[in-house]
Amino acid sequence: MDQLPVEISQRIRHEARIAGLNDHAPSIEMVERRRLQLWSLTIVVIVATGLTALAVSGATGNVSWITGQPMILAGGVAILAIGFGIYAFEKEVHLHRLSRLLVDERLLSNTMAKRLQMNTALFNAGKALNSVLDLDEVLDAILANALELLGGIGGCVMLLEDQRVLRVVAVRGEGVDADARIRLGEAIPGRVAQTREALRVPQAVATAEACATAPGFAIGGAMCVPLVNRGQLLGVLTVLAPESGEFEDEDLDILSLFAEPVAAAIAKAGLYEAERANVAKLLESDRMKSQFVASVSHELRTPITSIRGAVAASRRTDDPAQREELLDVVDRQSGRLQAMVEEMLVAARMQENANRPTMQPIDLCALVKLTALDSHVAGRTVELELPEHCMVRAEPEALRRVLTNLIENAHKYGLAPIRVAVQVADDQVVMSVIDRGPGIPPEERERIFERFYRVDPNGTKPGMGLGLSIVRGLVESCGGKVWVEEAPGGGAAFRVSLRANALTESHPEVVHV
Amino acid sequence: MSERAKVLIVDDEPDVLLTLRMILEAEGFDPLLAADGETALRRVDEERPDLVVLDIMMPVLDGWFVLAELGGRPRRPAVVVCSAKSGESDRARANELGADEYVTKPFEPDDLVVVIRDVLARAGAQVA
Repeated sequence: MDQLPVEISQRIRHEARIAGLNDHAPSIEMVERRRLQLWSLTIVVIVATGLTALAVSGATGNVSWITGQPMILAGGVAILAIGFGIYAFEKEVHLHRLSRLLVDERLLSNTMAKRLQMNTALFNAGKALNSVLDLDEVLDAILANALELLGGIGGCVMLLEDQRVLRVVAVRGEGVDADARIRLGEAIPGRVAQTREALRVPQAVATAEACATAPGFAIGGAMCVPLVNRGQLLGVLTVLAPESGEFEDEDLDILSLFAEPVAAAIAKAGLYEAERANVAKLLESDRMKSQFVASVSHELRTPITSIRGAVAASRRTDDPAQREELLDVVDRQSGRLQAMVEEMLVAARMQENANRPTMQPIDLCALVKLTALDSHVAGRTVELELPEHCMVRAEPEALRRVLTNLIENAHKYGLAPIRVAVQVADDQVVMSVIDRGPGIPPEERERIFERFYRVDPNGTKPGMGLGLSIVRGLVESCGGKVWVEEAPGGGAAFRVSLRANALTESHPEVVHV
Repeated sequence: MSERAKVLIVDDEPDVLLTLRMILEAEGFDPLLAADGETALRRVDEERPDLVVLDIMMPVLDGWFVLAELGGRPRRPAVVVCSAKSGESDRARANELGADEYVTKPFEPDDLVVVIRDVLARAGAQVA
């Protein structure tokens, strides 16, 4: 069996020639027919020899009816018989060899046919891998090929989630529970995922232990192989045998061959999916940037209109009081432009991640009171609900900007009264800015923190879509979280949670004995 | 008649109102002010201005609403829309709603004065 097919066919031809078979490709049937002929002839010869011997021995007593010289005749017949026997024996040896070679050849060609089938299936799997980039289609194509080759009734690919649970991502054929979730180490797939060793189980075990089999579905056994790509376990590939059949060890080897392209497909498709998501994100970011440019240029127009108006008006008047008033306009509006530019710079800096705040313990309540005072001066009044003190660990300037932006937003988009509250719960401090406006619809509550995102880009409210993204960036740089929810009784409640900082930090003392 | 043309300036930005008022006063108009759409409509009914300089993006009642409402008035004043919206669609919409001119912010104040004079002349009102 370990001979090369070419060598076998050469020997077959050689033996066939010796055995007197002129056919280049003799079949086992032809060899057997030739053996039958040979043995028939041998029997005929033996019988003939026997009869002759009988005739000769009969003639010893009587007169020979053939030659009259019995001894010479008997000797001649015997020599003939022996010669034929040697001939027949030699032919038989070659025919026997030929027959064995033909059996070998047949076995070999069967194996080769099976290998070819397997290679075709693997080739198809590879082709699916290269042609289709959608993970579902790749997995489906590979499963289909594996099932066809192994005669499985159903199969599935399960992927590892959170390093703990296997979840079915592709199903083919019957008998698989598409919603199956198997924990690592449990059932057959879970065990295979844990040990990373291929496993073939007979009917009894496969039925007793779940293999992601649909409840009540009878199977004849199962096989499960791990899917590993570059040393990383991705999931498992499971194939179920029909109730009437069972898998062989050889089948497990074949299934293991499929594991590699499946793992590669998953890794590749995963990359592709990530790439696609990335492209979508980039497109969205690009769209939002265009929106931003529109918003910014729009936002810049109003102060510039006022400044140019003030200059034009001051040229038309000699009244010092009016001129003073117009200078105030220029001052105010150029300040507004400056604030906008600063806001853009903060956002850009945050994007570059260069803005690393210096964290320090600060009294949040004192900071809220100061910021509220500033807001009050700017005409945005707020009500406060604060405890006496509340220490947090944060960067004071970042936190002040966060609160200023939130109060500004509340005044811009919400309705008075605007309340700022600070609550302490365990090791968390939550600062809330609450308004009585229409609130934020649930589907917008996450998006409003995105850069350049605006709930109503064509709306009547001014803004560049940067304020809240700056808030989130700054809060996160202080190790906190920010989110928005519906305020009790209506309106929006923006909440910032920060880690509380104990007033006195306890330092373990080193005791020298 | 030597009566000065009444121009109602509608804008939610106080500094725009202030500077335009001073400029139009200096140019010999009689400026009236409104910081939102509702006030604008009331002042149109009460004081019958010859022309309205109308901002679009305002809280509560925006410029589009005011423009549509003015279209339904029996003696509709001339309207110069004055907005930071610079899209062609906004211009077309203003035109459709009956605006006489469309000026994009930021504008050259002298140009606005010229536009106001032109529109008033076309409307046949007395130009200062």
